[in-house]
Amino acid sequence: MPVAASAIYFLNLRGDVLINRLYRDDVGGNMVDAFRMHIMQTKELGTCPVRQIGGCSFFYMRISNVYIVIVVSSNANVACAFKFVVEAVALFKSYFGGAFDEDAIRNNFVLIYELLDEIMDFGYPQNLSPEILKLYITQEGVRSPFSSKPSDKPVPNATLQVTGAVGWRREGLVYKKNEVFLDIVESVNLLMSSKGSVLRCDVTGKILMKCFLSGMPDLKLGLNDKIGLEKESELKSRPAKSGKTIELDDVTFHQCVNLTRFNSEKTVSFVPPDGEFELMKYRITEGVNLPFRVLPTIKELGRTRMEVNVKVKSVFGAKMFALGVVIKIPVPKQTAKTSFQVTSGRAKYQASIDCLVWKIRKFPGQTEPTLSAEVELISTMAEKKSWTRPPIQMEFQVPMFTASGLRVRFLKVWEKSGYNTVEWVRYITKAGSYEIRQLVVSGSKLVMAEGAIRLFSTGSRCHEIRRGEGHLPGPTQPAFDM
Amino acid sequence: MAPPAQSQRSQSPSQPSGKSEVSDLKLQLRQLAGSRAPGVDDSKRELFKKVISYMTIGIDVSSLFGEMVMCSATSDIVLKKMCYLYVGNYAKVNPDLALLTINFLQRDCHDQDPMIRGLALRSLCSLRVANLVEYLVGPLGSGLKDSNSYVRMVAVIGVLKLYHISASTCVDADFPSTLKHLMLNDSDTQVVANCLSALQEIWSAEASTSEEASREREALISKLVIYYLLNRIKEFSEWAQCLVLELVTKYVPSESSEIFDIMNLLEDRLQHANGAVVLATVKVFLQLTLSMTDVHQQVYERIKAPLLTLVSSGSPEQSYAVLSHLHLLVMRAPYVFSSDYKHFYCQYNEPSYVKRLKLEMLTAVANESNTYEIVTELCEYAANVDIPIARESIRAVGKIALQQYDVNAIVDRLLQFLEMEKDYVTAEALVLVKDLLRKYPQWSHDCIAVVGNISSKNVQEPKAKAALIWMLGEYSQDMQDAPYILESLVENWDEEHSAEVRLHLLTAVMKCFFKRPPETQSALGAALAAGVADFHQDVHDRALFYYRILRYNVSVAERVVNPPKQAVSVFADTQSSEIKDRIFDEFNSLSVLYQKPSYMFTDKEHRGPLEFADEIGNLSIGEATDNVVSSQRVEENDKDLLLTTAEKEETRAGHSQQASFGIDDLLGLGMPAVPNVPSPPQLKLNTKAALDPSTFQQKWRQLPIALSQELLLSPQAVAALTAPQALLRHMQSHSIHCIASGGQSPNFKFFFFAQKYEESSNYLVECIINTSSGKAQVKIKAEDQSTSQAFSTLFESALSKFGTP
Repeated sequence: MPVAASAIYFLNLRGDVLINRLYRDDVGGNMVDAFRMHIMQTKELGTCPVRQIGGCSFFYMRISNVYIVIVVSSNANVACAFKFVVEAVALFKSYFGGAFDEDAIRNNFVLIYELLDEIMDFGYPQNLSPEILKLYITQEGVRSPFSSKPSDKPVPNATLQVTGAVGWRREGLVYKKNEVFLDIVESVNLLMSSKGSVLRCDVTGKILMKCFLSGMPDLKLGLNDKIGLEKESELKSRPAKSGKTIELDDVTFHQCVNLTRFNSEKTVSFVPPDGEFELMKYRITEGVNLPFRVLPTIKELGRTRMEVNVKVKSVFGAKMFALGVVIKIPVPKQTAKTSFQVTSGRAKYQASIDCLVWKIRKFPGQTEPTLSAEVELISTMAEKKSWTRPPIQMEFQVPMFTASGLRVRFLKVWEKSGYNTVEWVRYITKAGSYEIRQLVVSGSKLVMAEGAIRLFSTGSRCHEIRRGEGHLPGPTQPAFDM
Repeated sequence: MAPPAQSQRSQSPSQPSGKSEVSDLKLQLRQLAGSRAPGVDDSKRELFKKVISYMTIGIDVSSLFGEMVMCSATSDIVLKKMCYLYVGNYAKVNPDLALLTINFLQRDCHDQDPMIRGLALRSLCSLRVANLVEYLVGPLGSGLKDSNSYVRMVAVIGVLKLYHISASTCVDADFPSTLKHLMLNDSDTQVVANCLSALQEIWSAEASTSEEASREREALISKLVIYYLLNRIKEFSEWAQCLVLELVTKYVPSESSEIFDIMNLLEDRLQHANGAVVLATVKVFLQLTLSMTDVHQQVYERIKAPLLTLVSSGSPEQSYAVLSHLHLLVMRAPYVFSSDYKHFYCQYNEPSYVKRLKLEMLTAVANESNTYEIVTELCEYAANVDIPIARESIRAVGKIALQQYDVNAIVDRLLQFLEMEKDYVTAEALVLVKDLLRKYPQWSHDCIAVVGNISSKNVQEPKAKAALIWMLGEYSQDMQDAPYILESLVENWDEEHSAEVRLHLLTAVMKCFFKRPPETQSALGAALAAGVADFHQDVHDRALFYYRILRYNVSVAERVVNPPKQAVSVFADTQSSEIKDRIFDEFNSLSVLYQKPSYMFTDKEHRGPLEFADEIGNLSIGEATDNVVSSQRVEENDKDLLLTTAEKEETRAGHSQQASFGIDDLLGLGMPAVPNVPSPPQLKLNTKAALDPSTFQQKWRQLPIALSQELLLSPQAVAALTAPQALLRHMQSHSIHCIASGGQSPNFKFFFFAQKYEESSNYLVECIINTSSGKAQVKIKAEDQSTSQAFSTLFESALSKFGTP
């Protein structure tokens, strides 16, 4: 059975119960106490999101300052349970209009109870679609209490939709202006070795849509992905257009997308839900354009001084720019004093996270600002052991840039009334986990970086492999000198 | 309206006070109950909210039941819902007052608004009061026939709720067959899905007692039903799809073309945005192709990309759930994933439960072509801040070394770990070098040179210290200082707290003595003296044994303590392949996350034998479980939960008893496994037989009764049988194990099982003993019918010995 949750609890960080909904009798009432005692108050918290206590299993998730706990007594489907929690939270958010946290729950707890009743019955997930639920769970959030009397609503009409086949869209929608917003949001994950070779690099992207369309429109989306283009040229029997095509490793779609048609014709066609939704998700590992190169040199000058030089190079078009760039360079805990010189942005030492934080609000393409810092350390006995050289981390957003190179070629809308639509497309690339491992150099010769670096010097074989694999995608190949 | 402020909640919510607030509320509710003033609904809402918020934080507001019901006569749907919630929560403890609510709920069940009908029906079924079930049947019956699908959907789950309150009422009203009809004919997919959930639960529970139900359960996975559901799969909600897909995994297609049809139909489900649907589809694919090796292989290739996507998207918890499944697949077929090893690289900020799985996967996928990269990456983690992960990664390097032929580069790295001068790194590396040397003795020269430089003072962890000492003993001829290091360790004998280290020290000194006698003699003397005086039994015994064998003959001693060793080729796997297959069968469930099959963690195991007996008893008598029993069970469960560790140890001791008997037998210390009676001696029982309760239950249902007899018990036996446990222990010493027992004097009931030696043929026994009449009713079922008579004699003789000293 997919979930068969026996109970669901919402707790705050101290373990106070915010919401408590028992679905089945097969667990006792003191499950919260068990959770508090065996998980929250021990070091176990955070070590594993699935735990067994007594005969029951607890699945828990922390979302902002709330723990959501599902208790089951059978051999349940975990993936389903976690997905349910995530979807339920999305649903609550759409009701509260934004944040999901302790305060929001306290202010809307009656509504949450009402929703919990609808979305799960006797432990089995029911309907979680916000579109449909909003038709008949009419109690508004605290923003305007009691504004809508339920009796005013066309309830009998709504229930027709509650369980119907096209669960994601109701009929009879009318908009004065028919608009579609398409956002392509990519996050780049990078793991670069201290030698400058890419260990791991991929892009996870999603296409978010906001539809304000009348009636029951049919949409068709064309991308510059390789398979789709090849299929198209095959169907139209004309050679594929030259230009960049990309290869998607894997794609998943919102339930509205006709998957049969995607598999046969490789086109994304769908009847969209009203409002905002996530149309598709994809993953790419080949041919990723990294928007930034980070070239750090960190020198240890004696036992109490370090010299940090970081050059960040933007390798996207000169007309574009990145926003909110933050580079975090970890330094040892016993850092006492720092001084900076930056060619752009502002830098400071943040003791709470043991990092030099360099922020550049607006970062144009094809530039390479640098930071040079001197770090003075307090000399302690244990210094050697305590610093494990965490990687340099980077945050950024680059509008109108996709690391994968994905582009929307067309978005067609058909509706039987034949209205005109306005389509808006935006691209943005964000940093996922963008990590560059540090190389620490003392003077001019290599320091044994706690075992890891010396390994390279053990055999000549490693250098060969390194070179073979250390390619960086993209047109410019920077020289990584040590 | 927020729940009450901090001051009240600062007390433990399970021991709430707030008495005055509750009585205050009571007063206010009473005032509002009769009022028809405008705006009264709004003030009622405020009050109801207060009540619900008290209820949430655990303050007992059940005393307001009457007032709440009085206030519930309203047309305000929000008020109604709050009231239903309240009633559902407290009806169980207030069965008499719950009767009050029946009236208005039943009236609402006939409301013209389908929403109200559905809500009322749901609340009615959630009252969970056994003596009110008669009021449920009517509304449920009409709910199932309702023209509105929302009401039908609620009614279907209502039937399931009714079944859990009173199974007999539910079956008598013929609801299961109505559900079956709905499942195959209803136009609404959510109704169909709910029917499926309900029927699966009901028929699984009924199947043990009724032939018909078990036939019906089989019918759910018949071609007709499966095809019907599969053809509509796209209309189902994502959750219902999971349900259907899980059902499909149990379906056995008659021919291979069917398998391909199903897989073609479901292939697009792998692109679904909901990870649970993808996993369920993966399970279908894997299960369907189990018997077709080639296709099974292709399936692995096909599901790889979707699974990797799922891992990299979503919250850490979700990706952990998927990663656990990927982990299982990687362990089954590492070669399929060997080129994807970079996906298993750890990110700095990932939670440790994700890192741990990834480390294991990196270890598994290592092969000739990628070992170098993987080991390099693992070495990075050795300097991780998270020390447990750093340790794991060093262990991973060691494991790779043990599974690879080309260990050249890896050995170098392990030795560099030894020089990193971090205590935990050195400790882990020492243990690994020791294992490595056991497998590849040819590396001893390189390793010993490095190990020799390690000061034993820097090694504190017992495991590491033991490893170091082992190497000192084993390679004392190559290590210049070995006798002197050992000597200094012997000098500090009293400061060594770990018995494991002291044991190793004894052996190492012995080995060293045989290789370099003059240098070691004094250390050996000191070690033996200290060992014999040791308070630890094992250390004492070993020292004494060494002492005596040395006195007897030194060359014999050398042959015993230091024989020429063979390199270990394969280290024992920790989990049997049978268990692994079992986990694989339970793909997409908790089993995969816990890495053990479900019978090892589901509640039956935890309830202990006594509880289980009740259950079997109930099932075989064919009585419906009423909710008194189930509430008992809940209590039992809770007790289990609240047991202190000490108590748990005690219960566990019961389990381990079986094992210790096995050891006794092995050493010829315990009672003879087969009693010396004139029974056919060829039947020998397995002393370590194991059977899980669900298999027992299943087999008990399937097998016919081979023998049924009445035995007379000796007066001593009757006297000894004060509690069931006494007999359990006795029978266990005869290799007959108890799976469930129960009852009180004078009536006891037992379920035993035994397994034929070196065969997996089981014997199942039901034994009902009445101590006042001194009689035992025995029913024996056997998988191997031909030996049932022999077993019966064995059982009889074992029983007859009970009570004799």
